[in-house]
Amino acid sequence: MRKYCLILGLCIGVMSACQKNYESVPLGQQATLDDVFNTQDSSGQQAILYLSNCYLEALPSGHNRITGDYLDAASDDAVSSSNTVSAVQMIATGQYTAASPNADDDWAYNYNVIRDCNVFIKYIYRVPLILLLPDGRKAIGALRSEARFLRAFTYYRLLQRYGGVPLVGDTLFSITDNVQLPRNSFSDCVNYIVSECNNIKDSLRTAMGVDAGNYGRITREAAMALKTQTLLLAASPLYNGGNIDGSDPLTGYPSFDATRWQAAAQAAQDIMNLGVFKLTPSFYDAFTTQAIPVGSNPEVILWVQSGASESIETKNSPVGYGSAGGGGQTSPSQALVDAFPMSNGLAITNPASGYNPLNPYDNRDPRLAATIFYNGHLWLNRAVQTYDGGLDKPGGTSAETKTGYYMRKFMGPFESVSSSPPVYSNTIHDFPYCRYAEILLDYAEATNEASGPTIAVYGVLDSLRKRAGIDPGTDGMYGLAAGMDQADMRVAIQNERRIELAFEEHRYWDIRRWKIAAQAYNSSPVQGVDIQQFGTGLTYNRINVLTTAFKDPQMYFYPIPYGEVVKNPQMKQNPNW
Amino acid sequence: MRKLLLYVCILALVLDVQAVLAQGRVITGTVRDQYGPLSGATVTEAGTKNSVPTNNKGEFRIVLKGAAGKLVISYVNYVKQEVAIKRGSDNIDVKLEQNTSSMDEVTVTGFGQAKPRTTMTGAVSSINAKEIEDIPTSSVQNALAGRLPGFVAVQRSGQPGHDASDFFIRGVNSLNSSGSTPLILVDDIEYDYDQLSQINVNEIESITILKDASSTAIYGIKGANGVLLVTTKRGVAGRPKFTLRGETGFQQPVLTPKFLDSYNSALLVRQAYANDGLTNLPPMVSDADIAHYKSGDDPYGHPDINWYKAINRHTVEQVNANLDVSGGTHNVKYFITGGVFSQNGNVRNFGTSQGGVNSQGVNNNYFYNRYNVRSNLDIQATKNLSLRMDVSTRYMDINQPSNQNVTADIFNYNDFHPFSAPFINPNGSFAYAFDTQGQLPTLNALLASGGYTRDRRTDFNALLGFDEKLNDITEGLALTGRLAYSSQQESVLTLNHAFANPPSYHYNPTDGSYLLNTGPNGGGYVEGVWSSSGYPDLDIQNVDAQVYFSYDRTFARAHHFNSLLLWHEQTTRNDDNPLLAQVAAVPSKFRGYSLKIGYDYKQKYLVDLNAALNGSDRFHAQKRNGFFPAVGLGWNIAKEKFFGDVLPKVNLFKLRATYGVVGSDVAPGNQYLYQQVYNNGSNYSFGQQPQGQATVYEGPLGNNNVTWSKSRKTDFGLDMNLFGDKLSSTTDYFHEYVFDQLVTPGNVPLILGIGLSPTNVGITTNQGWEETLTWSATAGKVFYSIGIVYTHNRNKVIYEAEASPRYPWLAVTGHQINQPFGYIFQGYYTQDDITSGKVAKPNTAAPPVAGDIKYKDLNGDGVIDQNDEQAIGRPNIPNTTVGLPIKLGYKGFDLSILFQGAFQYSLSAIGTGIEPFQSQWQPIHQDAWTPTNTNPKFPRLTTDPTTINSPTNYMSDFWLVNAHYIRLKTVDLSYQLSKKSLPFHLASARIYLSAYNLITWTNVWKKYQTDPEAQSNTVGDAYMNNRVLNVGIQVGL
Repeated sequence: MRKYCLILGLCIGVMSACQKNYESVPLGQQATLDDVFNTQDSSGQQAILYLSNCYLEALPSGHNRITGDYLDAASDDAVSSSNTVSAVQMIATGQYTAASPNADDDWAYNYNVIRDCNVFIKYIYRVPLILLLPDGRKAIGALRSEARFLRAFTYYRLLQRYGGVPLVGDTLFSITDNVQLPRNSFSDCVNYIVSECNNIKDSLRTAMGVDAGNYGRITREAAMALKTQTLLLAASPLYNGGNIDGSDPLTGYPSFDATRWQAAAQAAQDIMNLGVFKLTPSFYDAFTTQAIPVGSNPEVILWVQSGASESIETKNSPVGYGSAGGGGQTSPSQALVDAFPMSNGLAITNPASGYNPLNPYDNRDPRLAATIFYNGHLWLNRAVQTYDGGLDKPGGTSAETKTGYYMRKFMGPFESVSSSPPVYSNTIHDFPYCRYAEILLDYAEATNEASGPTIAVYGVLDSLRKRAGIDPGTDGMYGLAAGMDQADMRVAIQNERRIELAFEEHRYWDIRRWKIAAQAYNSSPVQGVDIQQFGTGLTYNRINVLTTAFKDPQMYFYPIPYGEVVKNPQMKQNPNW
Repeated sequence: MRKLLLYVCILALVLDVQAVLAQGRVITGTVRDQYGPLSGATVTEAGTKNSVPTNNKGEFRIVLKGAAGKLVISYVNYVKQEVAIKRGSDNIDVKLEQNTSSMDEVTVTGFGQAKPRTTMTGAVSSINAKEIEDIPTSSVQNALAGRLPGFVAVQRSGQPGHDASDFFIRGVNSLNSSGSTPLILVDDIEYDYDQLSQINVNEIESITILKDASSTAIYGIKGANGVLLVTTKRGVAGRPKFTLRGETGFQQPVLTPKFLDSYNSALLVRQAYANDGLTNLPPMVSDADIAHYKSGDDPYGHPDINWYKAINRHTVEQVNANLDVSGGTHNVKYFITGGVFSQNGNVRNFGTSQGGVNSQGVNNNYFYNRYNVRSNLDIQATKNLSLRMDVSTRYMDINQPSNQNVTADIFNYNDFHPFSAPFINPNGSFAYAFDTQGQLPTLNALLASGGYTRDRRTDFNALLGFDEKLNDITEGLALTGRLAYSSQQESVLTLNHAFANPPSYHYNPTDGSYLLNTGPNGGGYVEGVWSSSGYPDLDIQNVDAQVYFSYDRTFARAHHFNSLLLWHEQTTRNDDNPLLAQVAAVPSKFRGYSLKIGYDYKQKYLVDLNAALNGSDRFHAQKRNGFFPAVGLGWNIAKEKFFGDVLPKVNLFKLRATYGVVGSDVAPGNQYLYQQVYNNGSNYSFGQQPQGQATVYEGPLGNNNVTWSKSRKTDFGLDMNLFGDKLSSTTDYFHEYVFDQLVTPGNVPLILGIGLSPTNVGITTNQGWEETLTWSATAGKVFYSIGIVYTHNRNKVIYEAEASPRYPWLAVTGHQINQPFGYIFQGYYTQDDITSGKVAKPNTAAPPVAGDIKYKDLNGDGVIDQNDEQAIGRPNIPNTTVGLPIKLGYKGFDLSILFQGAFQYSLSAIGTGIEPFQSQWQPIHQDAWTPTNTNPKFPRLTTDPTTINSPTNYMSDFWLVNAHYIRLKTVDLSYQLSKKSLPFHLASARIYLSAYNLITWTNVWKKYQTDPEAQSNTVGDAYMNNRVLNVGIQVGL
């Protein structure tokens, strides 16, 4: 008997050494939906962090976004300095298909963002949030509207790339749901984004009503700006009368309607009428300062927050500054340089402008120096040397400028900073998705198309040129020709937009919506300048840098990813892909 | 020697003396095999029941009772031997020869069960660990390749401490990348690949693999990929027996890659630039430079360094030593062993001694040191109760250069050219590759000051068990309980210079100047101080408990029952890298009940019924438990009377068949798949002085229906022993239908907006056959054995929720798992092809020119793009492996060699392995296309990495080698001194010469300079596999 007691004891010993049961509640630090949208947490801490992730995903910083390059380096404004075949070069030379998408083609990513916003929109009301806005309203409504804005903004990005896309509304799909949705028409998408902007506008914070800790959140004015951008897109030639696929509702409207330009002009006018925004006195400040206190930088309307850093300088500044670092990532094109007028406001092609090809950078629009490093540009207390064999174009195997230029925009004021060895210091590099300058240009463009070159249109260009530091001249016209017709004014606005908004992810989309991309990519190679030094003299020769290609008209839209068309019989591919 | 002479004299004297009465005569002697004394062998006086076992030193003492004058020495798995008792010679020294094909070979099948070959219904193969003990490789699994049918191994790397083979039982059968890993059990405790590789083979008694459903069914949810069982050695009663083994070996890479010298490299650079029409030549390849390379007159200004040879040593050492003590009394038996294994790496140690200059006392070389200790105790507490306590621990250091993959750096043309820098400057300072973009200091400089990363790992295992015979309840019943704990802990210690770029100089021989390296962007070198850092990398605890009843009894000498009822529970906690994984530290729990009923009638008709009821908490409560039944039937026709009448020489002719379902709970990710988890994302900042704040995001959708995957396995086998056991054959055909596999569906539109948890929808099949054929016999005094071990399997994807492809040839479904896809080689473009609009061309930035590779335009659209890729070649894991074991024994000499081969697999290389301007120039590049060489082995050389000639962008059957290799895998030549000639009272002594990977024949080397077992596309990164030559001595006291 004692023996069996012993054996029983041993068995019990062995068996009890293991846990009795499977875990009834799974262990681990595994946060679930109920933890994130906690019905007990009146501070809504996790839920608000969840919304932060929606910001993080929906507002990607445009700085060096396309695998290290600016999207504008895929347009006619610049090329990548990379030694290897960069992602932007693949785009600019038309090397992408539905099966091997280009690096900006982020269909799945965007639908992921939309779902993430929808999770917040659906579940935030579970949280008994007691947080209040500075004006005394409950914050929960504003937070939910922020998520709706981010969702609408994501649809805007999809619309730019693909035309009409499936609108999923507030639906959160589960694994068993039918997600074989058809695409909504271009006009449905425009209407959806605009109506979302209208509906959320009043529940958001106002630009002047944001407290310091919430600086960077979406405001009423940001919603109005998105509405303006969307309406401007919808009114643009590619969609409004220039549909590449006849009357296909996915790729635009069947016919032209001038009221679309009016709607866009009105939306811009609404923002201008608020009187909240104005241009910063200095063009430089629009990119490197934050509104401290709130409202002190009145120009940026929608932007991506980022901490102060040296990253833009170290990635993009000229390569010859030793310990300061300088990746020289972006090589702006000669065409962009040529687009900047002289400081008297006259285009360099104008015989009266005073342009001297042997001294090409003197007496130019001050925005040139603020946007581009050219040979002789002061930087870190020495002249930039992009002549052959110069410190910033030494030759050899390292990456260096291909065009004789580097990008200057967005960097801190390190022109005459003198230290040995040269160094940068931390600078604000918020990425602007919408500046007031753009709203003004939107207004000018829409008004010119709807009503011709009115005084108001001239006024907008004057204000931008004045801020830029262009000499108003005796006639106070800032170099603009008087009495331009609509077409002349269109050219003037397009040029102003190109130089004012360079590297802010506008040019790439503008040449598409204006339906001039085929011409911009195919008419000539991207050019740069080859500068040779002879004694103290310099010679400037234009050189071809990259032969770009654009398949007209199919490349006006990205292909729907190949897999999506295969998996979903309702998914119609864009024309010719 | 004097002793020997004495014996000879005595022998001569007694030769013609008449027979003395055998009865009552005492015969003593020793029984051994080629490896040393054999304990537990049975010595029987012929024609009587008079028998004794040998003790732990192989010694016996028998008092003769009959008059036959013959002793029969037998032992399981050995050839039975009869020895005549010579007159006057009372001392007999017998050597038995192993016979893995013998009828009564007993194989361990898990949970204390063992079965002889005659009554086995399942597909089981085993090996006595003695056979691989002499093989000089640190990892047990490396030594098993080619020895066990159904065991497929590939050794991906030769790096000390990381050279263990990946292996599969019956090949790969799962779509889940980790789902084909077999269950590894060491004394019934679960191990992983790494743990197995760290076991000292000296501790092992035998290794068994279980392959079919019947033999793996008791493992239920864990058995789907086969089971590898390791049984460790245990003590045998007797006076303490000490065994000391010491061996030392020399390692060399199986292949030393050949790179072109400066002269030929520069010529090819020029050739490529000319091909591309480029006139701005890179530095160091002008006509004047090339003249210097040719004459070699300027070793500092125009160096010519073979970096592979400069950095690596050709021969490096390894050492292995073990000491075992075993013995005991009837009540307590012990086996205690300790071992040291030390293996050095191929790289010169610039950190401490080599080069003589600038050494900083830190060993940069690869090395592996391992210390093993094990103590296995058996205690007979009462007549029926026995207890066991096994404790073992392993401690090891794996060293490697910090932040440096030496092989990859040497292969990488962008880092160093042969003419980039002298090995060391004339004044003893370090040089740097001044003509490259990275301007790296030379590799020896980086190694000398780069420091090391060291993995330190401790494994600890303890097993407590009891075994109670319950004969007083019913004869043959026993109860066994086991409780085992194992832990693995690993930490990584790094000693290095932060941003180590030691000061290096470019020496200019024309003016004798030294230019300090300021780096590519003027960043310059950073003379950092040594700093050490460490973090825990692995922390796993596993508790395993088993209680089972076993029942083994024969009724009426005919009805034999052999049954098992098992309760098994296991908890694993994995605190793997707590810094990174939020979902780590989730325990996984397993619980199972298994029942096995075995029955045979006179060993003629065999039935095995198995069932397991298992659960794992990785799955939702409703989907947790599974039932896994299996049945096995066997019929040994040779036992039938009619058969024996017809074929009397056939001892075994057994047909067997098994069928059953087993499962696998291997699931991706350390989490509960049914649960949707919210994770922390990157920071986002609000506020005017933005401070990054954590964010929270939604993880992949949970799936309540996730459950284990299942495998329906069928196995037909035929076991034969012919010609009086001389010829033994085991044949198996198997078919596996693996279904409900966890795959992430690829056919759900991305509009869903969220990642999906895997669902149980994947289906694959796997079928093949295995054959083991052994002929063993004695010719005169020579014992010999020759065999073949053949394994073939082929899997197929039946369904994996693939999105339907645009063209049928793009479909993965229907091909093998991990089937490579690529283009079809059609020669090289001619100038006519280039100008013709009818020949399809790729859409590359630089259009193709004559001499570029031409591929087939499958869809006929005139463009070579992804739509023209089809299945090419085979997966990277061989479908067919063959082993040819050969053994010879003559007196004290034994030779055992194994040829091993692998066939039907594919291997490719990209980037630094082969592509111009990424890889160093290799001899194959000299046979590149030129206008005058239009039938080359290599396409036109180009500086552009994106052309159609790049296998990174255009993988094709041109680049994919349909590979095979044959190796003289192992050689073991040993000599055992006879008992009589042993000095110093030694019980035994043996010396041996052994080798691993001695000779290799492969077609891979026609194209790529890598080991044929290297993983595809790691050529240029993988540490070369080693050949080892080893000499050892084993002494018993």
